Amino acid sequence: MQTLTINGYQMAYLDIGQGPPLVCVHGSLCDFRIWSPVLGPLSRKHRIIAVSLRHFFPERWDGIGDTYSIAQHVDDMIGFIEKLDAGPVDLMGHSRGGHVSFRLAQRRPDLLRKLILAEPGGELDPSLDPAARPDAPSPLTAPFRASAEKIAAGDIDGGLALFLDTIEGPRAWRRLPAAPKQLLRDNAMTLLGQVRDKRPPFSKRDAEAIRTPTLFIGGANTKGLLAQVLHTLAAHVKGSKVTTIPGTTHPMFEQAPQRYCEVVLEFLAS
Amino acid sequence: MQTFRVNGYDMSYLEIGEGPPLVCIHGTLGDFRTWSAVMGPLSKTRRVISVSLRHFFPEHWDGVGDDYLMAQHVADVIEFIVKLDTGPIDLMGHSRGGHIAFRVAEQRPELLRKLILAEPGGDLDRSLEPDANEAAPPRAMRLGVSADKIRHGVIEGGVAAFYAMIEAEGAWARLHAAPKQQLRDNAFTLLGQIGENRRPYKRVEAESIRSATMFIGGADTQGALPAVLRALATHVPGAKTKMIEGARHWMFEQRPQEFCRIVLEFLDAP
Repeated sequence: MQTLTINGYQMAYLDIGQGPPLVCVHGSLCDFRIWSPVLGPLSRKHRIIAVSLRHFFPERWDGIGDTYSIAQHVDDMIGFIEKLDAGPVDLMGHSRGGHVSFRLAQRRPDLLRKLILAEPGGELDPSLDPAARPDAPSPLTAPFRASAEKIAAGDIDGGLALFLDTIEGPRAWRRLPAAPKQLLRDNAMTLLGQVRDKRPPFSKRDAEAIRTPTLFIGGANTKGLLAQVLHTLAAHVKGSKVTTIPGTTHPMFEQAPQRYCEVVLEFLAS
Repeated sequence: MQTFRVNGYDMSYLEIGEGPPLVCIHGTLGDFRTWSAVMGPLSKTRRVISVSLRHFFPEHWDGVGDDYLMAQHVADVIEFIVKLDTGPIDLMGHSRGGHIAFRVAEQRPELLRKLILAEPGGDLDRSLEPDANEAAPPRAMRLGVSADKIRHGVIEGGVAAFYAMIEAEGAWARLHAAPKQQLRDNAFTLLGQIGENRRPYKRVEAESIRSATMFIGGADTQGALPAVLRALATHVPGAKTKMIEGARHWMFEQRPQEFCRIVLEFLDAP
């Protein structure tokens, strides 16, 4: 694969098409391949750069060490965009990759043109959710820990099933086709790093600090924390737009790639 | 993407992993992404090189021109392997890509170590199938229907008709949106395939293959593909055959772990 050496790490990426650069950041348990169903329509007018974050496939990580964190991945993405040397880029992140993209926009707005956050992952602090208790664990913490424990013990499919069912609902893993299942398996060990990462929750000040034109995209059928985080952030990121895609849940761009690409291209062209 | 200049064309490829090189050739409507589901397990011990043939995505071809030909793609793959300059490689082809891989093995056995043909596409001549209707193979006629739809802008209908012909009536409606979009991205290549003038397989050709060969099939695949597989496997000297239970033509997407186990076992054997 093509790679750039960023903060001492060889970061792999896929680079397709010509035009203004759109950098895509995958979420938990995924890698550059997750964007496959949208590469075709998006690469007609844009240079699509789909990265694999540190420790994700094509690396085969053993899950050991403290270099899997939001902070590390944000540092890496800043270094990546700088080294790309293509001027300000459009940045799109899904799920945990949306969290990374949000933090990047907070720290380095000079690197960005537009920002697309597809159901960013994370937690809300009391300034955004009065019901949130500081230092209380996210409702996802316990099931994700249990998933990581299974994976560490060698029960990869058991751990992944627990993770996916937590996000997508009961039996989601069983219903998932074999090909996307295998992609999650290839990244299973990254969950060991993720449960050790103590990422700070989003605050109202964080959201209000974003100055990049921002689009939030959600699955119309996504429930729970992800939907709450999306709508709360959108309410406080100045001038942001929100589009929800009918008939989809969290992996909305896999479930409705054509509609997703229309939404993205319209926003980037406006 | 990474590319090699091959016979005047920039041929894109994805390369992952280290070890003995395994070059993978996608089939009709496929591209380098076709092999995504098996990239993980295979790249643990192999340098996996997944090409996009001339005119397939990431090119956005308009279907105009006369260089979408079986002979052209065979010449391109030969040149690609020569340019790779690693010594003999393992070659794996699926469907029409299996046809190409067969022809490479026929013409340039010195370039290959082992050959894997996953339900190779094509037609049998009378030396392999006494009842063959060489003037009008039935699938060529149905391919024409798909191409006509695409020519008239009915992309979805054309691709759906092709998919139903290979898998089963109604199979397109059951297929998930992500693999659908990747087929759609290559819809215009079907226009080229109408005039590609591929010759049927002959018994003497099968008997001439010198590379160690394995055929892989889906146990539930219907129609001509299993007949071609069995006929060729009978006449390629020393060929092995593995059928994957519960799988059809896209067997490596439907059963990626089983497919990889079979491939690695064959490649690892002395």
